[in-house]
Amino acid sequence: MDATFLMNSLWVMLGAILVIFMLGGFIMLEAGSTRMKNAGHIAGKTIFTFGLSSLVFWAVGFGFIFGDNANILVGLTNFFYSGAELEEMGLSSSVFFVFQLAFAGIAITIALGGFAERAKLSVYLIFTVLFSAIVYPVVAHWIWGGGWLAEHGKQDFAGSTVVHLTGAMAALAATILLKPRIGKFNKDGSANNIYGHNQVYTALGVLILWVGWFGFNAGSTLTVEDGFFGFVALNTNLAAGAGAVSALIISWVVMGKSDVPTMLNGALAGLVAITASCAFVDTWAAVVIGFVAGILVFYSVRFFEKRKIDDPIFALSVHGAAGVWGTLSTGFFATPELATVGKPGLFYGGGFEQLGVQFMGVAVSGLYAFAVSFIILAAAKKVLGGLRVSEEEEIMGLDLSEHGSYGYPEVFMAEENKRLSS
Amino acid sequence: MESSFNSYQSLKKWKEEQIIKYRYDTNAMNEFHDFTMKAVFTIASEQLKIERSPSWRFAWFTMGSSGRKEQGFLSDQDHGLVFEPGKEEAEAYFLQLGEEISRGLHEAGYPYCEGKVMSSNPLWCKPLSKWKRQIQAWMKEESLETIRNLHIFYDSRVLVGKEEYIAELKTCIHKNIQKCPHLLTRMLETSMHIKKSVGPFGQLLTEEKGEHQGELDLKHAAFIPYVNAIRILAAKEGLSETSTIDRMGKLQKMKCYEEEMGKYKCNFAALLEWRLQSYRQSDIYDDTHYLQLKSLLKSERNELKNILKDGKKLQRFVIRAIEKSEV
Repeated sequence: MDATFLMNSLWVMLGAILVIFMLGGFIMLEAGSTRMKNAGHIAGKTIFTFGLSSLVFWAVGFGFIFGDNANILVGLTNFFYSGAELEEMGLSSSVFFVFQLAFAGIAITIALGGFAERAKLSVYLIFTVLFSAIVYPVVAHWIWGGGWLAEHGKQDFAGSTVVHLTGAMAALAATILLKPRIGKFNKDGSANNIYGHNQVYTALGVLILWVGWFGFNAGSTLTVEDGFFGFVALNTNLAAGAGAVSALIISWVVMGKSDVPTMLNGALAGLVAITASCAFVDTWAAVVIGFVAGILVFYSVRFFEKRKIDDPIFALSVHGAAGVWGTLSTGFFATPELATVGKPGLFYGGGFEQLGVQFMGVAVSGLYAFAVSFIILAAAKKVLGGLRVSEEEEIMGLDLSEHGSYGYPEVFMAEENKRLSS
Repeated sequence: MESSFNSYQSLKKWKEEQIIKYRYDTNAMNEFHDFTMKAVFTIASEQLKIERSPSWRFAWFTMGSSGRKEQGFLSDQDHGLVFEPGKEEAEAYFLQLGEEISRGLHEAGYPYCEGKVMSSNPLWCKPLSKWKRQIQAWMKEESLETIRNLHIFYDSRVLVGKEEYIAELKTCIHKNIQKCPHLLTRMLETSMHIKKSVGPFGQLLTEEKGEHQGELDLKHAAFIPYVNAIRILAAKEGLSETSTIDRMGKLQKMKCYEEEMGKYKCNFAALLEWRLQSYRQSDIYDDTHYLQLKSLLKSERNELKNILKDGKKLQRFVIRAIEKSEV
């Protein structure tokens, strides 16, 4: 067996591990950005839905994305994947499978971020199954599985569209159908701050995601050849840094204070944006892409809030708005040397062609993900008699209402303690 | 204003009917509040079961915006009692009176003070000798809390009783400052925070979230910086005035301040006027601190912006003045 095959397999396995570890980042990020009474629920459901989506991915997801005999939507072989070696992979097919499974897990986790603090557990369950079976695989097939967008030369190196935008559009459908959390908006239309309970968790979550992103982007080279993954990692880090810096600056310029949650969103937006373009652009462009993403995310958060859309962990802005920008960015910045897929961008003499392809990809993928997610959730709403827990349960917190225990028992069971000690 | 009242409720009703008359004049507004509060004091004294011996001399004083004669339509209560040293019965009596006054003010529409600066709190209700010791201790300790108490006390103004008591206590402070100007630096250090209200591009910064979204926090962005800065200069120069405008007037006559003070005085007068004008009938106490920018003309916005920026300048000016005096 040749050394490159083994090295590739090892490298991508490391990438898979890093991407799966990003779930740790999402747990910290989401739990930290929400209230204590929902912390155990948020942490627990993230693990549970990843487990569930893994099974769905094994059963149908992988086959839909990469299978042969494809129709316009999906491929139709390799269901219940056996671990058999597939042709022309250059690395262990099982490793490739685990790597792809991890991406599907991230997409559903992003989508479920929009459900935070008010959806029933059963909704998480149903949506995870259906999203992992018929939403994510279709978009992934179109762009990565040799589908029609791939034939157009759509550039999305590691998934600004496939993973982030798809997840965010599902989150958008959910936030619209779920309606805002109790207490988020006042009668006069003004918004309240529902503070997350632990900013340190949120920041640590961002750091874990940042590190995990090296698996996400650099791992997506799928090969160690020429050490190109190092260049991808370099671009990734630059964009994250630029996003953090620009978001902090814009919050200070507009609001007069250096807002920590905005800065954290900026770093993530930089990462999301560079995900599509990390292998196709020069380093200076990576800085520009991240910088713009950081500013965009700040205005996007305000935009959604003005429209009374309650997005507790900013999934729509961080993954949606930045995902769109990231996908379009290659249409501007892709260089002739680096554009191994598609054409060079507008700034490199490629004209509007690639930009047009990117735009079409974003529009169709986004629309598909939104529409199908909306239909799934609207149907679930009918069947389950509503997506939300009752008002009483929401106030009480999902830790208790959905699981009968607490993420922070000492805090919430204080009454019990009082009784015992009296 | 000669009506007499037999209950807090009737006083409250009368106050609410009358107060709108004073909406264009801060001075008249504050005389009206003084009158109402004195009426509360009279009712409170009558309510008590114990009689006050005529020999127990005392002063009931207000602080905060009332002490500075800067009350708008609504403000919470800040007040204290000082009385003739000596008898224990007197101490018990005045504390009871303090409790009754606080309750009465609350019922008459002056909400309780969240910081407990009220005559019902033994910290603010003491015989003169203990007051003197307490103020000495505050100045000696120099902690954030005690210096802030000093700030509050420095705006005290007698409503009922002997003005000499408060004058005597303030003289203690002045003497101490002359001996030890470092105290002014501490007063400055404990009152430096200004809520940011003008952005780097000169835009007005309003509340981002909550009921007052889009409104400007006048109290913290504008009033408090002016009031604090001028109070420190007043303490430095040993002024007996309590209202910020009067303090500025006095400072204006002194050579080292005459150049700057005129502008700041105009600014502050405009702020007082704005607050009265922005009052809406439905307001509760917190609402009166916020200004809706939508209702302002472009020229008014610019004026406001200058006032806010000048608040910072005034602070820097005071810092320099205090630094010079320390050398």
